Amino acid sequence: MRLSAKVGIIANPASARDIRRIVAHGGATTTYDKLNLLRRVMSGLGAIGVGHVISMADRAGVMAGLAQASTGPSAKEWPTLEFVEQEITHSAADTTAATQAMVNAGVGAIVVLGGDGTNRVVAAACGDTPIVPISTGTNNAFPRPVEATVAGIAAGLVALNPCCRRAGTYQAKKLEVRIGDRVEHALVDVAISSDDAVGSGAVWDVASTSELFLCFAEPGSIGLSAIGGHVQPTSRDAASGLHLLLDDASTTRVLAPIAPGLTATVGIGKVSVLEAQSAVAVESERGVIAIDGERMLRFGPSNRPTITLAANGPVVVNVDKTVAYASRNGLFVSPPGSVAASGHQDKTALTNQQSAEP
Amino acid sequence: MNPMNRLELYTEMVRIRQYESRILQEYHADKSPAWDIGAGLIPGEMHLAAGQEPAAVGVCAHLKKGDGITAPHRPHHFALAHGVDMNAMTAEIYGRTTGLCKGKGGHMHLFDPENHFSCSGIIAQGYPVACGQALAMKRKGTDNVAIAVAGEGAANQGAFHESLNLAAVWNLPVVFIIEDNDWAISVPRSDSTATTSNADRAAGYGIPGVRVEDNDVEAVFEAAGAAIDRARSGEGPSLIEIHTLRLWGHFEGDAQAYRTDLETVDERDPIPRYAAMLLESGELTEDQVQEIAATADAEVDAAIQFALNSPIPAPEDALLHVFA
Repeated sequence: MRLSAKVGIIANPASARDIRRIVAHGGATTTYDKLNLLRRVMSGLGAIGVGHVISMADRAGVMAGLAQASTGPSAKEWPTLEFVEQEITHSAADTTAATQAMVNAGVGAIVVLGGDGTNRVVAAACGDTPIVPISTGTNNAFPRPVEATVAGIAAGLVALNPCCRRAGTYQAKKLEVRIGDRVEHALVDVAISSDDAVGSGAVWDVASTSELFLCFAEPGSIGLSAIGGHVQPTSRDAASGLHLLLDDASTTRVLAPIAPGLTATVGIGKVSVLEAQSAVAVESERGVIAIDGERMLRFGPSNRPTITLAANGPVVVNVDKTVAYASRNGLFVSPPGSVAASGHQDKTALTNQQSAEP
Repeated sequence: MNPMNRLELYTEMVRIRQYESRILQEYHADKSPAWDIGAGLIPGEMHLAAGQEPAAVGVCAHLKKGDGITAPHRPHHFALAHGVDMNAMTAEIYGRTTGLCKGKGGHMHLFDPENHFSCSGIIAQGYPVACGQALAMKRKGTDNVAIAVAGEGAANQGAFHESLNLAAVWNLPVVFIIEDNDWAISVPRSDSTATTSNADRAAGYGIPGVRVEDNDVEAVFEAAGAAIDRARSGEGPSLIEIHTLRLWGHFEGDAQAYRTDLETVDERDPIPRYAAMLLESGELTEDQVQEIAATADAEVDAAIQFALNSPIPAPEDALLHVFA
């Protein structure tokens, strides 16, 4: 039985163009690069048997380029392609509207090209539809490095096969941010800064950052969460998160890469575990709150934010785990069972929901 | 980077808007017949920059004496924000002898050597000139920067590409600004341009490219500040593309029948949006709003009076001051 033959694609046309190209050494993921990644995703999806793709509409070249590519000779094996009929606002609202349309259309997975910020917006609207993050942003703690062809294959496996979905996905944590009446979610970090302005959005000046709330803090990561990762590593599988108070006067200092090519030595005031379901008010009375690297709004005493770690973040596809499961179960081999391996094969996995867990 | 003064940013945007609004009014006041652009007290085509104030104000807030700007055919906002004298500029627009070019250049040819400000009706031609300015600044050992401004349509000109290349090769202190107002006269980007952001093109020449999406003066201020600091410190050129808004026609008299976004233009006006934000945060009061508008009004009034009271060039002077 096929769970779903449809997969959604969200490719943020605006990612990787912010100020961190100047103040740090953020890479330039051009529209050409994004289209190249999408071609690879489409190849992977087509090869694994996904029949139909629904992609976000835009007027920034991604939709036009993908539509054009889909008529070319190299696209013969691609799934059929449609674009969401949506009003285009050149803002995050486009991503939200497209995600909702894909969920309503019953896609089995959504491939997301963007950084932490793009994934955050998709996650807020995708419910329990699994997402497959491919990094085209600047600071990418949430998307793991992955080859787009393989990501397409994994997305297809998850959409087509409930066993692959069970074996290859996990539910991420999220930070729930309450600012007055407004509720926002973060997938990686919430930073409080003494900045007076939202400015150009992206966070790049750690000197003004006073406080960090982290969903996870992995050593080897880039961005503000790396500060936590270098103090008290907290995996994305752990039930808890991390709360750091930064203090420039502190003698305890930690070195961390906070943006591409930009490292900082940060004074650490206090480190505490952020327990799930426990609301913590930010220390500062006023400042700017940044969510997943985007300075979002100014706050004061009347709307001082509170942060709560929650376990019910988006369902995320672990590409490596998904293809490993598929491989173990012989899903890439035809005819089924023709390559006798270690005896762990489940030859019926593509058609039987009851197949073995890994 | 310079500390940001919100009230100054707001005041300068209002000053520019008041100027453009009055020129719009004066331009049409005596055009008879209305389609004759040569008629009236302000002769020639008129390209006004209402809606694009955040670009000029956010960039120019970082400039100092000795920095240069080469602006395009829609130049008033950058001229005013860079400190070009309003009287002399207005007299030039009116074609009077007290104008920046003694009345022979008109609104697309405002040359102010003292402030290193120039503009041109030839699309993208400010880009190579800015490279020249930047080369001079670098060879003189100053920390000055040259700002080159053009629209998104201009980025398809060879001069744009040659300039990015040259600036990268020579590591020049130049910041390339693209004002993307969605319309190259009547042509949308999708009909004319293979890439979707000039930040991508910057990458092709090995220089940083940034796109500022929201026509927000504070976002421009921060991005421009970073690029200008970078250029001053010898780290080389960069490009900032600002997604801005052409509030009115390409030129005055443009019926804009081609324009599919007209319905939402007013609600995207950046100045009321910024005022609302400052009023809400208490950084601006209603009294100040009135006062700032009245001050701008008086300054513009005086500049127009200065122009109207200035002499028109004599016929026998037609060949004077025409060649450099």
